[in-house]
Amino acid sequence: MNKEALVIGGGVAGIQAALDLADMGLKVHLVERAPSIGGRMAQLDKTFPTNDCSI
Amino acid sequence: MMDAGRHPNIELLTLSEVMDLEGEAGRFTATVVKHPRYVDESRCTACGDCLAKCPYKAEDDFNLGLEKRKAIYVYFPQGVPSCATIDREACQYFKTGKCKVCEKVCNREAVNFEERDREIRLDVGAVIVATGFEPYPAGKVTQFGFGKYPNVLTSMQFERMSNATGPTGGKLVRPSDGRHVKRIAFLQCVGSRDARHKRFCSAVCCMHSTKEAMVAREHDHEVESFIFYTDMRAAGKGFQEYIERAVSDYGVKYVRARAGEVSQDEEKNPVIWFENIDEKRVEAMVVDMCVLATSLVPSAGTEGLANALGIELDEYGFFATDPFSPVESSRPGVFVCGYAEAPLDIPESVAQASGAAGKAAEIIFGAPNLVKSERSG
Amino acid sequence: MSAQEKKEDLRIGVFVCHCGSNIAGFVDVAAVAEYARSLPDVAFVDENMYSCADSGLKAIASGVEKEKLNRVVVAACTPVTHEPLFRGTCQGAGLNPYLFEFANIRDQCSWVHQKDKGSGTSKAKDLVRMAVARARMLRPLEKIGVDVTRSALVIGGGVSGMTAAVALARMGFDVKLVEKEERLGGMLRSLHKLYPDSRNSRDVLAAMEQEVQRYPNLEVLTRAEIATVDGFIGNYKISVSTPEGEKEFDAGAIIVATGASPLEPSGLFGYDGKRVITQLELESRMKKGEVKASNIVMIQCAGARIPERRYCSRICCTEAVKNARLLRQINPESAIYILHRGIQTYDTEFEDFYKNARGDLVYFIRYPDDLPPAVDEGKVTVRDATMGEDLELEADLVVLSTPLVPRSDSEVLARQLRVSQDANGFMLEAHVKLRPVDFATDGIFMAGCCHWPAHVGESVSQALAAASHASIPLTAGRVTVEPVVSVVDSNLCTGCGTCTDNCPYGAINKDEVSHKAIVTDVICKGCGICATNCPEGAITINHYRPDQIMAQVRAAFEETA
Repeated sequence: MNKEALVIGGGVAGIQAALDLADMGLKVHLVERAPSIGGRMAQLDKTFPTNDCSI
Repeated sequence: MMDAGRHPNIELLTLSEVMDLEGEAGRFTATVVKHPRYVDESRCTACGDCLAKCPYKAEDDFNLGLEKRKAIYVYFPQGVPSCATIDREACQYFKTGKCKVCEKVCNREAVNFEERDREIRLDVGAVIVATGFEPYPAGKVTQFGFGKYPNVLTSMQFERMSNATGPTGGKLVRPSDGRHVKRIAFLQCVGSRDARHKRFCSAVCCMHSTKEAMVAREHDHEVESFIFYTDMRAAGKGFQEYIERAVSDYGVKYVRARAGEVSQDEEKNPVIWFENIDEKRVEAMVVDMCVLATSLVPSAGTEGLANALGIELDEYGFFATDPFSPVESSRPGVFVCGYAEAPLDIPESVAQASGAAGKAAEIIFGAPNLVKSERSG
Repeated sequence: MSAQEKKEDLRIGVFVCHCGSNIAGFVDVAAVAEYARSLPDVAFVDENMYSCADSGLKAIASGVEKEKLNRVVVAACTPVTHEPLFRGTCQGAGLNPYLFEFANIRDQCSWVHQKDKGSGTSKAKDLVRMAVARARMLRPLEKIGVDVTRSALVIGGGVSGMTAAVALARMGFDVKLVEKEERLGGMLRSLHKLYPDSRNSRDVLAAMEQEVQRYPNLEVLTRAEIATVDGFIGNYKISVSTPEGEKEFDAGAIIVATGASPLEPSGLFGYDGKRVITQLELESRMKKGEVKASNIVMIQCAGARIPERRYCSRICCTEAVKNARLLRQINPESAIYILHRGIQTYDTEFEDFYKNARGDLVYFIRYPDDLPPAVDEGKVTVRDATMGEDLELEADLVVLSTPLVPRSDSEVLARQLRVSQDANGFMLEAHVKLRPVDFATDGIFMAGCCHWPAHVGESVSQALAAASHASIPLTAGRVTVEPVVSVVDSNLCTGCGTCTDNCPYGAINKDEVSHKAIVTDVICKGCGICATNCPEGAITINHYRPDQIMAQVRAAFEETA
C-alpha cells in the first residue's frame, strides 16, 4: 500500500483536497502546470455572494 | 494557498504535468514531468530585480492578454511558490545565446539556464483530479465581435481589470481609448446553451456577471450595467437575495434577451442588438463596454490527461462520473472533483474536493472494514 | 504583571527586513534599524535582506541564542504569511513562540507610501516602536490540546446521513446513525424515479441500506431522537431517546444530516391534496400507478421566490421536468404544461434534459414574477410573459413545485448542538464559500438538505465532505489549538450571561454549580466578543490583553526621535 496521494491541479478544489489529506496525516504531492498554485480564483477580484476578495 | 504552501505534508510540484499512471488503487505509480523554471525555487524570493531589468516582453496569460509581461516574470504577486519563472519562448538567451541580464542582476544567484525537464516517479495510493476549467474561446462566437472590437471583453478579462493588482490597477477603462466606463452590457450564455458551441449551462456565469456589475458600481457610482440573460441561474444559498440586492441597491438592470449580435460605432462603442420581448421589436443599445460571459469548459489538456490516467470523459468533455457517485472516476482509486467533474461553483467544488479526499484516504488507510465487514444473517 | 515578571531583564531583539526592494526600495531600513537600537530594552538589532529566507531565519535563531534574547520583533511583511514561520524559528531556538511580535512595515507601510520615502520611514519607525512596546508585555503561552474520542455521531438517516455514516465506518471509526423515523431513507422513501437516468429510488435505497448493514462498527438507531448533547469537539456526551429507553454514548465528532421538509402549501393555488397536489404527492401516485389525468399543469415557484420566502429551492425545476417526462411516457396522449419563472437546469446534463423535455412535447410557459397563475375548477389561467397574452389551460391535475423548507424541529436541534441557523432557518455554515460543510463550532459538520436544498448527487458529495472533515480530528486522536483564547476572572464575573448569549461558537458557558462563566479553551476562537461585551471587564483574551494593547496604543502617540 502506497501511503501517499497525488492531487492533479492546484486550484481551489485541488488545494482543498490536498489540505484535507495532509491534515489526515498523509503525504500529498500537488501537481500544478502553471508556475504557481491558485488557479482561477487567483484571477478573480471578488466572489459571490459575499463579495469577499478571492485571494 | 498559503496553507498549502506551508503544510509539512504537502509537496508542491508546479510547472509539472502527469504523463502516465500505472498500477491499481492502493498501488499506483505516476510519472510526472517537472518542466524547467530556470530559477531555483529554494533561492528566489520574488524580489523583482530581474524583471525590472529584463528587456523582453511576452503576452501575459494571467492577465488574459490585457497587458504584457517580461520574459522573466512572477506569475502573480501573491503566488505560491513565490518565485520568478523564465518563459523560454520569449527569452532572448534561449533564442540567441545573448543577454542573461537577469542572472547578472540577481543577488541570490537563483537564475539557472541549465535546468531541464525532470521526470519524477511517485508511488501513491490514490489520485485526485482537480484540473478545473478554462473559458471557451470567445472569438469562436463570432457574432459578438470578440477580437475584432477592442471594447468587447470576456468576464475573466473584466475580473482582471477590476482587480486592484490587475493591469489597470482596478480602473474600469476602455481598451480603445482609456476612457472610464459608464455603461456596461453583460451578455450571458455566450457559447452556452447553444447547439453550435456548448449545449450545457456553465452554472456560475449568471451569478458572476451580477457580481461584476455590482463591483463596477462600487468602483464608480455612475456606472450603469445591463445583464442580457436567458434564465437567471441563481439556485444556490443566498443567490436569489444577491440578485435582488443587485437590483435594489446597485441599480443593475436585467434584460431578458439573448443578444443577436454586437456591432461597433465610429467611437468604438459596442452596440448590442437584441429583441425587446415586451415591446416586440429589435433594439440596439449603445454601451461603453461589452462583457461576454462565455461558456466555461474543462481545462485544455483534459483529453490528454484522461488518456494518461486511463479514465473516461463524458459526452460534454468533463471527467465521467456516475450521478450518484460524483467523485469517482471510471478507474478505481482515481477521483475527480470541482469544475473538472461538472460546472460547479466554489462551495460545491470545495465540498467535492473534501469528499474526494475522504475517498482517497479510505483507500490509503486500507479501508479495514472492507475485509472484516460481512455480518452474519 | 507579577513581581517576578517585573524583575525580568528584558532583552528584545529587533530584526528589520529589506524584503528585497519591497521594503528597502521605499523605506530607509538602516535608519529604522538605527532607531530600534535607541529604544529601551532593545538588546540587539539586525537587518536581513529576506527574514523569511534561510539566512534570515538563521540570523534570528542565532540572535536569540547568542544574545540571550527573551523577546523577538520582526519588522517585515504580513503576519498572515510568515508569523507561523517566525514563531517556529523562535521555538526552535528555545524561545516560547508567543514571545514573538510582528510589525508589518510592508503591506501597510512601504507598499502604500511608495512616493514618500520620508513618511514611509517615519511610519516604519512608529510601527517598530509600537511592536517593541507590545513585545515588552508579552507572556509565554502553551498550545491547548484535548484528546478526541474516535467515534462519530450522524444525525439523520437519509441519503446524506447514510453516505456520511458509511464513509466514516469504512475509515475504521465507530459510528452511531440516529434516525427519528422507523426506517432509514428520509425523503428517498417518498420518491419514485430519480433524475437524471430514471433509476428507481427503491433500488438506490435498498443498495444504501444494504451498505449500511455491512459494517459492524456502524450502529443504526431508529425511532431515536437526540435528547441532549454535552461537551465539545472530541468529547461529546450524547443522550438519545429510543423506544427502549435512553441511550448514552460518547462521540468525537457530529454530522448533522437531518434533511428538509417540503412546504405544506395550504392556501396556495387552491391546494387540496386531491386535484391540486405537490410534486412529492405526485411521486407517490406515480409509484402506485395512480396517475390518470391527461391534462396536467405544473406550477413552479409555488411558495418560493416570493416576499415571504425569497429563495429559490434549487431542485424543483429538474424535479418537475423529470416528472413531466415520466408522465409523457406513462400517457403519450397527455398534455403537460410547466408554468415557470425561469428554468433552473444548471449543470452538464440538465440542459439537454430540459431540451429533450421539449422534444417530448412538454410545454413550457413563462409567467411574470408578479403575476402568478390562477387555478380554478378544471383549468389554470396563466399570463404568457413572452406573448403578453393570457392562456387558459385545461387541467385535470395541478402539481405545485413547492420549495423545501427547514424542518420544524431544526431549531431545537440547533439549540441542543449550540450551532447557528441562517436567515431562512437552514443550518449556517462556517463560511458560505470555503467551508460549506463545517459549522463554525469545531467538531460539528453538516450535509444535504439541512444545509440547503440539494439533489441526491449533491447530497452525496456533501456527505463525503463532512465525513472527510470529521475524520481529521478522529484520525489525529487529538486536537490542538492556538492559546489565543478568552480567560475569565471568576472573582469579577457576576454570572450575567452576556458573554454566553453572544458567543458564536458556544465556547463560553455558565458553570452549573458556580454560575460563573467558563471558557472551553479548545472551541474558543479568541474573537473577543465576550471580552468586549463583559460589563465587569472580567474577561481578557490571551495575547491581546488590555495592557498589551494599551502599551501599543501609547507607543503610537510617542514622538519619533
